Amino acid sequence: MREFDTALVLSRVLTSGVVMSIERNDRELPGLERLLGQRYGGAKVCLVNSRTAAVHAAVAGLGLGHGDQVALADPPAWQRAFLGWLGITPVRGLGDTPAFEYREAGEFAPFSAPVLVVDLTPLGFGPAGAIVTDDETVWARAERLKIFGAYDLRTMWTQDEADPELVPGVQFNYRLSPLVAACIRTSLTAQSRLRKAA
Amino acid sequence: MITDFPALPVPLPDEAELAGELAALGGEPLLGKGVRRTLFPVITKEDVFGALLAVRKDPDRVVADFAGAYRDYVGAAYALPTASGTSSLHLALVGAGVEPGDEVIVPALTFIATAQAVVAAGGIPVFVDIDPDTYCMDPAAAAAAITGRTRALMPVHVHGLPADVVALRALADRHGIALVEDASHAHSASVGGAIAGSLGDTAGQSLMADKNFPLGGEGGIAFFATEQAYQRAVDYLARHHIDYGMSWVAAAFGSSQLERLPYYDAVRARNATLLGEALRGTELFTPPYVPDGHVHAYNMYRARLHPEAVGLGDLPIHAVTDAVHELLVAEGVPAREWQNAPIPFHLPFRHRAGFGNGWPFTLNPGAVRDYTPADFPVTIATLESTLVLCRELRSPVEWERVTRYGHAFAKVARRPDAIRDLVAQRAPRPRPYERAARLG
Repeated sequence: MREFDTALVLSRVLTSGVVMSIERNDRELPGLERLLGQRYGGAKVCLVNSRTAAVHAAVAGLGLGHGDQVALADPPAWQRAFLGWLGITPVRGLGDTPAFEYREAGEFAPFSAPVLVVDLTPLGFGPAGAIVTDDETVWARAERLKIFGAYDLRTMWTQDEADPELVPGVQFNYRLSPLVAACIRTSLTAQSRLRKAA
Repeated sequence: MITDFPALPVPLPDEAELAGELAALGGEPLLGKGVRRTLFPVITKEDVFGALLAVRKDPDRVVADFAGAYRDYVGAAYALPTASGTSSLHLALVGAGVEPGDEVIVPALTFIATAQAVVAAGGIPVFVDIDPDTYCMDPAAAAAAITGRTRALMPVHVHGLPADVVALRALADRHGIALVEDASHAHSASVGGAIAGSLGDTAGQSLMADKNFPLGGEGGIAFFATEQAYQRAVDYLARHHIDYGMSWVAAAFGSSQLERLPYYDAVRARNATLLGEALRGTELFTPPYVPDGHVHAYNMYRARLHPEAVGLGDLPIHAVTDAVHELLVAEGVPAREWQNAPIPFHLPFRHRAGFGNGWPFTLNPGAVRDYTPADFPVTIATLESTLVLCRELRSPVEWERVTRYGHAFAKVARRPDAIRDLVAQRAPRPRPYERAARLG
C-alpha cells in the first residue's frame, strides 16, 4: 500500500477516537472480519495479532490441545516448532484433508480444510493474522482463546457454566488493534483494485 | 466533535445540589446523561503526526525507539516490546526462569491475565490472599505458600498501587526465588522513587489502550533487570517461533503518548486528591490507602464502604454496597465492581484444562487445589465492601467532573435511610463471589 494511503487510514482512525479493541463502538475489527469472510468464502472470522496466534486459534478451534495430534502433511519449521510448544504433534495421514490450510494475505481463493489460517503480517503493519471457517463452534472456541475476545465480551456479565463445552483453558490476549485492522482492510481493498485494473 | 471535546461542558459544581433528592428517587442527577461519557484515550494532533511520520520509517526502528524510550523512563535495564500485556507477563516469567511445573505465587485479586500468563509459561498459579489496606499480595500469605517447587513471587500492583516490594524482595531472596512484577495497572507508580517495572527481577506491563499509558490499541512490554533474563526470553521466543511482536502502528502512538504521560499522571493525582477529600468528608466512604513512599498511579480507584459508621452495620455489607452502587450510578457516577470473585473461582481455574488435557496442571498435582472462600477472607471482604472507578480519574476528566463525582458520593452518604430502604426493597442477592465470575 502506498505511504499516502496508510497515512490517510491512520489519520482517519485516530480522528475517530476509537483505538481500543474492546470498545463496543469499534467498527474496524468487524469491518475486517466481514471483508476476510467475503474474500475467502467463510462464514466466521476470528482476528488475532500474529500468524502463530492464528495457528493457535485454528487448533484450539478444532478442539485440539496438549498431547493431541493434528493432521498436517508438511508444515514449515516455524509451524512445527510452534505446535510443539503447544504440545501438539503434526501427523500425516490422519485424514484426507489437512486440519487447516495456511495462506499469506492476498491469496484469495476458496479453501477446503475446516479452517483457513491467514497470515496478515506481510501487509506491513506488524504481526497480524486471522482464521476463517464455516464452523460456528470452531470460531467460538477460537474467540474464547482470546481474553476479552468476542465471546468473552458477549458473556462477560453473565459468564457461567451454561455452555461447558466452551469453558476456556489457557487464554492469551491475541486481540488485534483496530488501528492495525483498519490499515489491513484498506491495504487488502487496494490490492483487489489493482488486480482488477490489471 | 469526536476527539477534541466532550459533547457538553460539565456545569460548575454547586454544593447546594447535595441537599437535593437522590436521582434514584426522582431528583436531579449530579451528572446528567448528556455529560456522562468520558472519551479515552486522549488523541491529539501529535499522535496523528507521529503516526504519519512513522509511516516513512523502518517499522523495527519505530518499535525499538518506543521500547528504548519507555525502558529509560521506567529505569529498567532491558525491555522487550510485545503485542499485549499477557504476552509481556508470559515473557517476564520465562525470563525469571519459570519452567513447566514450577509454582508461581499470585494474588487472588487481579485480572485473569496474571494467572493465565503463569499457565502460558507452563507454571502453576498458587493463589494467596491480599493485604486489607493496599489490596496487593499479602507478604505473610505469600510466605506461607512457598514450597520447594516455588520459582517466583508475582505481585500485582493492583489498581496502580505498588505492592510491598520491600517485604516481597526480602522473602524472595530468603528462598532464592524470583520477584516478577505485574505492573499492568502501575504506569509511573513508584516506591522510593523507583518506578514500577524496575522493582523486580523481571516485570510485565499491559499498554492496551484502556490503560493509563495507552498504545494504539494493544501492546505490552516486558522488563528485565539482567541481560541473562532478557536473553532467556528472547531465546524462548526464537526456539518456539512464538510471534509476540508489537506492531509499529501501536508503538508510534505510544511514543507520542509517552511525552504526555507526566501530564496525565498529574491530572490523575489531582483528581485522586479531590476525590479523596470528598470521601474523607463522609462517614460512609474512605479513599484508597497509600503507604509512605509509594506513589499510586490510580489506574483504578477503589473506595471502601463503612456501613457501620452510618447506622447500617446490621445489614449484609454486600447488600449495602449493591444499593450504594445503584444510587451512585443514578447520580451519573460510573462506579463498578471490577472483579466480583477471586481469580481461582473463574472457570479456567476451576476446570484447569490449561493447554489441553490438563497440562501444565498435571505436571505438579501437589500444587493444584480447589480453593474455597475460606482461603481468601480478605479478598472476599474487599469485594463485598468496595466500589471502583476505572477511567474516571484520567485526563481529560476535568475539575468540574471529578468534583461532581465527589459530591455524588457525599450526597449518597447523607442518605442511610434511602440505602436501608433500597436494601429492603430488593430481593436478597447472592454474595458477589457466589455469582458468575466476571472478567472485568
